[in-house]
Amino acid sequence: MRANLKATRALGCVCAALMVLGTTYAPGLAQAADMKLQSQLLWGTDDAKPPEGKNYKPVEPDILKRLNELPLKWKNYFEVKRTDFILGPELTKKVPLSDKCELNVVRQNNSTVEVSLIGRGKEVVRRTQSLPRGQILVLGGNAPNATAWLVILKRTD
Amino acid sequence: MIDYKDQLKLQSYLDGELAESDSREVADWLARNPEAAALKTELDQTRKALSGFEDGIKLPESREFYWSKIRREIQRQEAPAPPRPSEPWLYRLRRFLVPATGLAVVGLLVLTVTRDTGSFDASVETALEDSGAFTYHDDTAGATLVWLSYPADNEIPDDDDLNSVD
Amino acid sequence: MVKASQAGDMVAFEELVARHRDKIYARAYSMMRNEEDAIDLSQEAWVKGWQRLKQFQGESSFGTWMTRIVINLCLDQLRKHKRQRTESIEEMNEDSGGVERQMPVVTVNPTAGLERGELRQRIDRALGQLSHEHRTALVLHEFQELEYKEIAKVMGCSIGTVMSRLFYARRKMAALLADLKRENSK
Repeated sequence: MRANLKATRALGCVCAALMVLGTTYAPGLAQAADMKLQSQLLWGTDDAKPPEGKNYKPVEPDILKRLNELPLKWKNYFEVKRTDFILGPELTKKVPLSDKCELNVVRQNNSTVEVSLIGRGKEVVRRTQSLPRGQILVLGGNAPNATAWLVILKRTD
Repeated sequence: MIDYKDQLKLQSYLDGELAESDSREVADWLARNPEAAALKTELDQTRKALSGFEDGIKLPESREFYWSKIRREIQRQEAPAPPRPSEPWLYRLRRFLVPATGLAVVGLLVLTVTRDTGSFDASVETALEDSGAFTYHDDTAGATLVWLSYPADNEIPDDDDLNSVD
Repeated sequence: MVKASQAGDMVAFEELVARHRDKIYARAYSMMRNEEDAIDLSQEAWVKGWQRLKQFQGESSFGTWMTRIVINLCLDQLRKHKRQRTESIEEMNEDSGGVERQMPVVTVNPTAGLERGELRQRIDRALGQLSHEHRTALVLHEFQELEYKEIAKVMGCSIGTVMSRLFYARRKMAALLADLKRENSK
């Protein structure tokens, strides 16, 4: 009887410990299945407004704050397109940015992605980037009339 | 028509690149040859036109803005790499809290592997060496910037590229 | 100011940047012909200048030392962007002496009577029409004041090639300036 009770208590401890650890680590296990990301195509300009006929909204304050910390010279940034996507078990996603450009994002592990920017059918850059929560990747280049295009990639999970 | 070699020699004379004896020879030739003298005049005029050209070129950015980017980059390059956080003590303690059954320990080891600590691993790589990319990372901004020379000068996109998304 | 910067005084270095920034930017602009590239490369040159300050021994002026740094950065950038392109007949013949040996001599001074600003604009336009090899040779000789052998070393070519490129660039500039004068007098 006593031996049974001891065994039961030991098993109870193990189960309790596993439950505690399970709830602690369960979010990690869930993340191994899904990585939630967002891409934003932005237009950088010194103009106060977007071009005539385009209702691009100003970039969100958090992104604006970060862009202003970077060595970029434009006064204003407007959001052209935003796409939310999930890198689930399929691990790869093509994200259209415009008619001529897309991002190809490949998941490497829980916090690293390989990002390729494809412009006019050609790979412009490929980058393996560690992207923990709270960090953003900014790809950018010059656009006509002294403006800029930028692509932001960030985690939303 | 002056021989091409002589044309180049005339240029060298003008640029002070000839030895003294050769210089005297060219000087004599110039005195006798109006075509050569005319070419020298043309080259002289071009040189005079070019002098002072750069004096009129001014940097189109304010002192503070221009310097702020330089200073940021210097500080970024000089900042020491952030130390990797050591394994939290709680992880070690948990292992000792779990009763010693073989299967539970194995299960715990499986659960504790590859946890996303949120620490920023700054090692990244760019696969395309000739991409012309310039990379800048800012810890304060929590951002990595990759600036590309795309599109190239001879591939300036239509204005519609950015405006084509609707 | 240089010594203070070498000792790590960033305020002193900022003052050096302020004093020489136009010159360094101008040199980059002459090479790259693009405002944004010139700004980026000039800033990169300043960062490198800070890192290499201890190597500056005063063998040349500080401004000249910095222009060498920015020129090397510009050349690296130009090499990166070198494209396979169909070369004009002029460019293909540059080393054997092509078009420029047959160009008629420009007898009228194309810049006479021009105000400095207008002359600068015309030269700017004409420089933009040279290939980057020809423009580089011209910039290194006329603005950086390098000798032929130094230009050859910087450009990674023979002295003969330097002489040909420089000659072509000068003759082409004269012809372009003359064309611009004719255009404007119509």
